[in-house]
Amino acid sequence: MKKSFFRKVGFGLSLNEQVNGDPLEWAQQQMDSIPSFSWKGDIPSEKDMRKKHRDRIYYDRKVLRKKYKNDKVKYRAEKQKLRIQTGQLFFENNELAIRHNEAIKGNSPVFERFWHFWGNHFAISEKDMLPEYATGPYQRETIRPNMIKTFEDMVKDATISWAMINHLDNSQSVGPQSKWGMKSRETINENHARELLELHTVSPSIGYSQEDVIQMTYVMTGWQSKWTKSKLETGDIWFNYEHHQPNEKKILGKIYKAQGKHELFSVIKDLVNKEECKKFIATKLCRHFITDNPSEEMIKPVIEAWNKSGGYLPAIHKAVIKSAYENADMCKKFQQPETWILQISRMFGLGWVPRSNLMKYDFKKRPSDYQEQISENLRELGHLPYRPKQPNGWSDFEEDWISPELIIRRLIMASKISNYGLSRDSEVIKMIVENNFDNPNEIFDLISNIDQNDHRNKFALICNAPAMLKA
Amino acid sequence: MINCTRRNFLIGSLSSVFFSGMSFPLASNYKKKKNLIIINLRGGMDGLSAVPVIGDKNLIKQRKELILDETLRLNTDFALHPKLEFFHELWKNNQASVIHASSIPYTGRSHFDGQNLMESGGRVPYQKKTGWLGRGMMSAGYVGEGLALALPMPLLLRGVPLNDNYYPAKGVMPSRYVLDNLFSSYKISGEKNLETVLDIIRNRPVSMMTAGTSRDIKSLAKRTALLMRDENGPSVGVFELDGFDTHAAQGKEDGLLADQLEDIDSILKTLKENLKDSFKNTLILTLTEFGRTIRQNGGNGTEHGWGGAILMAGGLLKKSQVYADWPGLKKGDLYEGRDLKSTTDARSVYMSAMATCFDLEPEKIKKEVFWNENLQDLSQKLFNS
Repeated sequence: MKKSFFRKVGFGLSLNEQVNGDPLEWAQQQMDSIPSFSWKGDIPSEKDMRKKHRDRIYYDRKVLRKKYKNDKVKYRAEKQKLRIQTGQLFFENNELAIRHNEAIKGNSPVFERFWHFWGNHFAISEKDMLPEYATGPYQRETIRPNMIKTFEDMVKDATISWAMINHLDNSQSVGPQSKWGMKSRETINENHARELLELHTVSPSIGYSQEDVIQMTYVMTGWQSKWTKSKLETGDIWFNYEHHQPNEKKILGKIYKAQGKHELFSVIKDLVNKEECKKFIATKLCRHFITDNPSEEMIKPVIEAWNKSGGYLPAIHKAVIKSAYENADMCKKFQQPETWILQISRMFGLGWVPRSNLMKYDFKKRPSDYQEQISENLRELGHLPYRPKQPNGWSDFEEDWISPELIIRRLIMASKISNYGLSRDSEVIKMIVENNFDNPNEIFDLISNIDQNDHRNKFALICNAPAMLKA
Repeated sequence: MINCTRRNFLIGSLSSVFFSGMSFPLASNYKKKKNLIIINLRGGMDGLSAVPVIGDKNLIKQRKELILDETLRLNTDFALHPKLEFFHELWKNNQASVIHASSIPYTGRSHFDGQNLMESGGRVPYQKKTGWLGRGMMSAGYVGEGLALALPMPLLLRGVPLNDNYYPAKGVMPSRYVLDNLFSSYKISGEKNLETVLDIIRNRPVSMMTAGTSRDIKSLAKRTALLMRDENGPSVGVFELDGFDTHAAQGKEDGLLADQLEDIDSILKTLKENLKDSFKNTLILTLTEFGRTIRQNGGNGTEHGWGGAILMAGGLLKKSQVYADWPGLKKGDLYEGRDLKSTTDARSVYMSAMATCFDLEPEKIKKEVFWNENLQDLSQKLFNS
């Protein structure tokens, strides 16, 4: 029956959720449009969040540090006040609420799964207060709208986004022969260029050299946030011609004539059309949704869809979904902690996301326990989606997620959530399990000897059953 | 129990005797347990700032904003970053040393490929799915001897079953019945990884499962020391430290790098204090994916390079020394005109460290762990056997 398919590409089916007709079609049609967020609380714009971010760093660096330079204690206290006034401790929680509300209650769960995938592909790692202010808005305003465009569009927008430029230090990269470089003797920073090649597009499998990385860095010089005395590094992204390395560049054997800001887009166009790029991305998609080691037969249709559609993401996504559907019975994929808890939440009607009125923040005190509930729980599970440690994002390999400590966290979490307002009625639980699993008896057997009122241990068993951990 | 050493005993019975904390008779010729502790320095530690070469004109010229004004002196050629104060104390007692101008053979300057290779010990990124330490432990029969102080299990320890990791959880565990029931369920459904891990959890001492234990680096180091100084505790520990990717604001005595070095120092100090006598039988070793460019960049930081420094501490060291075949820092001496060369394959150090700590022939490790690659046996030069 392939009931696991609803978790393989989504978050499972809630109690009253029915899929009439072809599940494949149900999943694929979700790829054609971008669902608007149903979150009733605040959804701040990227621009507004950058202002908060600006206030946080400006007042710290330009005011507090000077004012309290001889009073460490006062400085710490004032800094904490500033954190609260600028929402530093709050906004990530709000972003997670928006994200999780959509996954649990939204009508396009499969779309959400792909959104989570791309956000992790173009990851912003835990650095410089980016998760506190910038990563969530970047995911919503840069990644999400591009999911009905081409991969090339997404690469372009992600590359010149404020979050990515700052994450990978491109503002500090100056062409040594540029007007400013000649004067200041400043030089390049290869970080962003290297990750664009390695992580975002062609991957090391194409065999680029150090010289290719340097030339790519030259192409990218000048793309930076507009620095001013009042905005510091939070200004808009622009192309600073005076920092741009002049002359032609040569990348992967091809010469690019000097054309200023347009160079980057010409190179990206070529990168996304390399076979190595298509294969890298198609493999990563299949790995995320189907199995750790996807076969050629799984990957091939995705590359074909790419070629046929000119890299149109909805077409690529549909091919991945089809491949996942066809392999739903044979290949089970170990689910990452965040996906796992969202599946449990959607299926069992868990009160995982606090109500939107509880998420109103007054900027006067620390966020409440309710407001910190999601981030606190995800931290315990070892998977805060907007805080990967490195720019390569969270791993898609099972072995990175199975260790004593990580499994302990799931056992504890599963027994804890029996308090999260989910249905404890045995009949309801039975219906939900039957609705979502091909072999519900496996799960029923597991809990058959447990006291029906021992909800903690019952949910610890259900949520950590092999069929629940994998899909 | 002829010839039934602790190791044989463990391999012979993969039941979880070890984890239950039960003790059993030891053979009379039992040798003191040796510990190997690895600290992964992720991001690429700048060896030239941690252990700068004294008075080198090229370094001074290329690093105007980074050259340290105050250092701790090691010998006539090398100095130490002032934040490695405790390391310096150990140095004075012949319990700290440095391998300089050393790295893994990888020169590609990518964090992810580099970290993958620093852990797998191979030459092609992502090709090997196990870590050199895990394979070495397997050669030595060190099953159930590994402990990672981190939430995910590092690649470094893969290749040997039954490793433990520890990073205190908040909250209450479900009942014993749940654990046993899930264990059988994983077994029946052929979920090997889950089965192995749950077995470790089932047999963990109660004191490690208590909620509310602190997770800061010192507490983890203390817990590690307490576990490892126990004759029946783990023999291999792995720490994780992030934040060595100092592209900007690397600083001098007080920048971003200084903060990270302070963490290393604090781990060493806590381990030494709590390992007590076992420190004598311990070797601590740092790993990093690459060193950094000799030249500072536009953000008063440094770029990804190649050669760097390995820091070592513990009573198993032969003496205090900076072991290096120093390649020089003149333009022509640098790798691709920009990086300190690696003249000692870091894997030679890894091999020799395992030979010493696991009581194995280096040749055996070379063959079983490093595919017979051309590595040097440095055991006699660096360690007490």
